[in-house]
Amino acid sequence: MGRPKAAEPPAGTRLRLDGRAAARMAAGFAAGLALWFAFAAPYDQTVAAAAGFLIRTFESPAVTSLSAQSGEIRVDRSDFPPASPRPGLPAADLHFNFVLLVALFAFVPRPLEPARFLRFWIAAAGLWAIHVLALVFQVESVYATRLGAWSEAHYGSFASNLWAGGFHFYQIAGRFAAPFALWWLLVRPEIDPRRPRSEKR
Amino acid sequence: MKEKTTRASSNRRSAFFLLRFVALLVVFYVVIASRPVNDAVIVPFTAGVARVSAVILSGIGEKVSVAGTEIRSGAFAVNIENGCNGVEAALLFGSAVLAFPAPWRRRVLGLVAGFAAIQLLNLVRVVSLFWIGAHRPALFSASHTVLWQSAVVLFSVLLFLFWASREQRTQAAAAVGAHGPSEGR
Repeated sequence: MGRPKAAEPPAGTRLRLDGRAAARMAAGFAAGLALWFAFAAPYDQTVAAAAGFLIRTFESPAVTSLSAQSGEIRVDRSDFPPASPRPGLPAADLHFNFVLLVALFAFVPRPLEPARFLRFWIAAAGLWAIHVLALVFQVESVYATRLGAWSEAHYGSFASNLWAGGFHFYQIAGRFAAPFALWWLLVRPEIDPRRPRSEKR
Repeated sequence: MKEKTTRASSNRRSAFFLLRFVALLVVFYVVIASRPVNDAVIVPFTAGVARVSAVILSGIGEKVSVAGTEIRSGAFAVNIENGCNGVEAALLFGSAVLAFPAPWRRRVLGLVAGFAAIQLLNLVRVVSLFWIGAHRPALFSASHTVLWQSAVVLFSVLLFLFWASREQRTQAAAAVGAHGPSEGR
């Protein structure tokens, strides 16, 4: 008979829920906010460029171009009438969850240890890919549902539901779940069943 | 060899948790996004959040009125939408609790307590955001999008980890009790 499961040595990262972990998370939250505010503008540009490339790859003719300015992703099509307004999509809603990712990785003991820091960057790259995909869904949902007769002529009901539903899922659940899922996947937290020091008598 | 087996089993447990979590999240999303559930449950619930928030705002001296999911005063108005009613954080918390291996009774207790705690924090969020919108409008956008959304979601993750650690503790104690104290050393 082996030892009970809970007493096995951890294969993932052992977490203890104590004051230190809470302080690390708070510091990570503050650091994430500072990074996000400092680098949001160049980050918008990389996400817009990659999403624009993806959209153009799968559209015929390739007419979409995305650009980032003043916290918005501007959607342009070369077949839009020159005088018509261009849709602007708020960029912060798309990628503020980077702050959550930093806070979650800071929650782990010794977050700046090279192996853990590398995992954070792998997760950040994964989150960037999710942001690019979410922007593709958002732009396609604008095309499919917000351009009146043009939308109806170019998108069937299945395509409209797919693009609009996909982006709505990201807005309601995906953008909050993505950092947690990436963190869980890369950290594989093993929650320490022992009482935190402050609870011990 | 034993360490390898342990690592493989831990990886499997971790992967299964994540798969169950994502699957539950999609299922719950489909349920709450469907029009009948949205109209019969989510919108009235959100209107309730607006009414309770308005009562608290009146208590702290704000002159507000409520129409459906909208709270307004002479200076500011806010419409509470999906994503601001605490349901998104509850969805995350609920999917994680249900995906975690635990007896059903303790899962249900965790869900009820966690939902209540998330809604309490969400009331603080709505009230404080309305106050910021009315008195410090320049800070509203950043507070709404980044600060409070992140704080509520982090709170729900912490709640889940707290519940899961208690659950692990209960399971560890039960395992030690079942196998005798020497087995656990």
